[in-house]
Amino acid sequence: MFEGVPIVSIIILMPLIGAACTFLLGRYEKYAKWVALSFSLVALVLSVLVALVFMVEPDSTATGYHDGRGFYNFQFYESATWIKSLGITYIVGLDGIGLPMFVLTTLLSTLSILFSWDTKLRPKEYFGLMLILEVGVLGVFSSLDYFVFYVFWEIVLIPMYFMIGVWGGPNKDYAAIKFFIYTHIASLALLIAIMAMYFQAGVNSFGMEDIWRAGQTEFTKVFQVAAFGATFFGFGVKLPMVPFHTWLPDAHVEAPTAGSVLLAGLLLKMGGYGIIRVAIPTLPEGADALQIVMAIVAIASILYGAILCLAQKDLKKMVAYSSISHMGFVLLGFATFTQLGIVAGVFQMFAHGLVTAVLFMMCGVVQHHCGTRMIPSLGGLSKKMPVASTMMTIGFLASLGLPGLVSFAAEFMVLASMYQTWALWLFLPIISVAITAGYYMWALQRSMFGPMTQKIDTAHVHDISWFEGAPVGILIALIALFGVFPMLIFQYIDPAVKIVLGLLGGG
Amino acid sequence: MSVWNYLDVLTPQLLLIVFALLMPALDYIFKDKRVISMMALAPLVAVAAALISWIFLDIWTPPESQISLIDLDIFAGLFMLVFVSVGIVVVLGSPEFIKNDKNQGEYYALILLAITGMTIVAESTDLIALFVGLEIAGISSFALSGFRKTEKRSAEAATKYFIVGGFSSALTLFAISLLYGVGGTTNIASIGSILTTSTAPWIIDSHPVVLLAAVMLMAGIGFKIAMVPFHMWAPDVYEGAPTPISGLLAAASKKMGFAAFFKIFLVAIIVTKTDWEEAVAVLAILTMIVGNLIAVSQTNIKRMLAYSSIAQAGYILIALPVATQYAVAGGIFHIITHAFMKSGAFMVVAAMGAVAVGEKLEDFKGLSKRSPFLAFSMTLFLLSLAGIPPLAGFSSKFVLFSSAVEASFIDGQGWMIWLAVAGVLNSALSLYYYARVIKNMYMEKGPSEKVRVPPMLGAAISVAVIMVVAIGIYPDAVVTACRHAGETFSGLVSGWP
Repeated sequence: MFEGVPIVSIIILMPLIGAACTFLLGRYEKYAKWVALSFSLVALVLSVLVALVFMVEPDSTATGYHDGRGFYNFQFYESATWIKSLGITYIVGLDGIGLPMFVLTTLLSTLSILFSWDTKLRPKEYFGLMLILEVGVLGVFSSLDYFVFYVFWEIVLIPMYFMIGVWGGPNKDYAAIKFFIYTHIASLALLIAIMAMYFQAGVNSFGMEDIWRAGQTEFTKVFQVAAFGATFFGFGVKLPMVPFHTWLPDAHVEAPTAGSVLLAGLLLKMGGYGIIRVAIPTLPEGADALQIVMAIVAIASILYGAILCLAQKDLKKMVAYSSISHMGFVLLGFATFTQLGIVAGVFQMFAHGLVTAVLFMMCGVVQHHCGTRMIPSLGGLSKKMPVASTMMTIGFLASLGLPGLVSFAAEFMVLASMYQTWALWLFLPIISVAITAGYYMWALQRSMFGPMTQKIDTAHVHDISWFEGAPVGILIALIALFGVFPMLIFQYIDPAVKIVLGLLGGG
Repeated sequence: MSVWNYLDVLTPQLLLIVFALLMPALDYIFKDKRVISMMALAPLVAVAAALISWIFLDIWTPPESQISLIDLDIFAGLFMLVFVSVGIVVVLGSPEFIKNDKNQGEYYALILLAITGMTIVAESTDLIALFVGLEIAGISSFALSGFRKTEKRSAEAATKYFIVGGFSSALTLFAISLLYGVGGTTNIASIGSILTTSTAPWIIDSHPVVLLAAVMLMAGIGFKIAMVPFHMWAPDVYEGAPTPISGLLAAASKKMGFAAFFKIFLVAIIVTKTDWEEAVAVLAILTMIVGNLIAVSQTNIKRMLAYSSIAQAGYILIALPVATQYAVAGGIFHIITHAFMKSGAFMVVAAMGAVAVGEKLEDFKGLSKRSPFLAFSMTLFLLSLAGIPPLAGFSSKFVLFSSAVEASFIDGQGWMIWLAVAGVLNSALSLYYYARVIKNMYMEKGPSEKVRVPPMLGAAISVAVIMVVAIGIYPDAVVTACRHAGETFSGLVSGWP
């Protein structure tokens, strides 16, 4: 299947065409949601087909990177000269690390569009921007040329800036500009690192493989440490790692629900993906030298994020801080430099994408139906909205790592690999598991169960709507599916990670 | 050598001058003033078409120069293309703005003359020709910035510009005389060669006279490009001048200053580079910082664009201390993209002014509802100025900053990485005030009545939008041309790095 068909580009192009169509709707903007949904649905179906082909007939279309030690084994590889005078080539392709993220992107985009079904404020811009965001994220997860990667990386900022700034909460201006500038500065550190790698490699190509190949002999240790520091900062702010996380709670609290879902579900993953795709394999000696820094930052993010959750009154802010904690596990997994740890890190990215989408959607439901997300004002909502509170409970349980749900497998493996590398230092991150259970249960108890609240008018509170329930339901089904059969994703990630690890000279 | 040899090379200038002289006469003949603006457009479009067919399409080659004062090489060609393109945008944007003026013929004549002067600077191979070009463009610009005679701000702008411009001309001329004293010639490339090969003691001994000339040029031409600390006039003049003329000053006049800067610093006195490179580097960084920091606090959009234009000059200045072929290419590339982004942005402001909406930042509130076209175009220009891909400003900043990164790998030049870092941090800073305008347009509530965009202005803005997007998505042709222009420099002087 797909032989000779530029399927990855077609999938990236789908939302772009969709966005153009929605922007051109003019007076018929009430149909924007239909246009957006259909184009993102096509992209979703195609990407799932790609994943199936990848699984059923591995290597059948594999071209691209093969050599003695083997860089990545990319399938659906496409390459076209773009800016010849600067050595820039449009290259896209998918491997076991990129593919799960790619599919996650089309999935969450489609579900977010469905979730926003009753958006009345400027719908054509809203859905158009969501599609452009999808284009950017898809490009990041599939491009194999640094310049192209960076272009997609930056494209993501603009729609998110507008989504927060136009459709956001009361403090949206501040949050939007803070998000834009904070993450833009991080991107620029990344840009300088990319330029430095390009010139140091001296092959007049921005292709990831070319630079990687040349870098094996051209990159000195000092250069690697400096460049790794810059890329790590660039990706780490997106991740986000403590102490560069402060843009995240503001952005989340103000963003509309679908914006939060895409921000936490996809944009944060870009940071983790960059570390494992760019920073570690291309600059292994730099990564080695800064391994302990990565680990310390990871553990700090895990603990600090979790502790801050305990103090939150706003349900959504709590979920935002919990993202910092859970993305810390991704970084911790990578920092171990073990097969298990890196696989677990990638798997945790996927798992967190599913789970956090549920959590933010449920925060959105509470806000939408009750008019507030402040935990002290809520209470006893399970009587008024039984389905919603069940879904929220499942989401919380999944996020705190209940066995059988997807996060458990991921976090368990991260912790196991941590034990392999640093033995008893494991006690530090494992504290967070208890804290996590604490803040989720406590929040659940105060908002959903117990006596009915008197602080808000609950007369008109009704249960979850179909367009809100359907996406959450689909996500919960997937959370359970991949929780029980994590191998469905592992088998993609595992071989790709073996190659990354080969580059590190370990195993 | 016959007179025809002169005519061959000078055809673009002659074309522009003849039309410029015709303008006042046409003003008497035609009642419909749109005809005049069309006639002003004609020579610009002709020159632009010729240059494009040469540089990008390769279907025509300009004649070899037979005279020693000017030469049309690819460096000159690209700069001339910038000037005539900005000229096209400005002329298209003007009719609505000056429709009630009595002297429209003179207005267009002055625009054409200013552009003639700029093209002479770009083509000059001789310091005298360069100075003549600077003056032709300068004097026309002074008159243009004071064109709305009855308006106080416009008169103030013209006076200020005139005094500062006269002073800077004097400094430039004095520096030129010093260079002539050292080299015994006014030919730019010859001065470079003489400095490289001469054994005269006063030249070997760290070129004190040349350095004095360099300092004076930094001040003299530094005024033209609004380099800190010689930038103070720019915001007042840009604010006071008729808005299309502000676009001309920011997008073209300033680029003429860069053409002169590149010619003198990178050809004539390139061998003394190690003596002035650090000074220029510091001034470049200061120019970025001062421009951006003051832009943040502006409430008038024309002043904000003026300060942002100062900051952009700081980015372009990176090319001088780095002084590699690639850096020159980056400098020229950013000059090209900046010409379109800046003139486009000023045309949007002109459109707002022409329909009496206003020039304050708050007048942009809710613009996306009132005129989606203006708001969207402005957003593209501002994002491109901030260097967000895939717009033109990103590509050019990418080449420019990466040239500094490349140079920093050479031993003893490690500090040049700070030029790139400063450029990058300043780009992030500039995003703050650009984003605020975008925020006003899309996220704030404003009056609801529609803004009617005059058709010619709409066309001007569309031209700039198309260029910003097209160069951003497919920069290859322009980058290649810019790299060729960078290469021409190394061919002129034997000691070129």
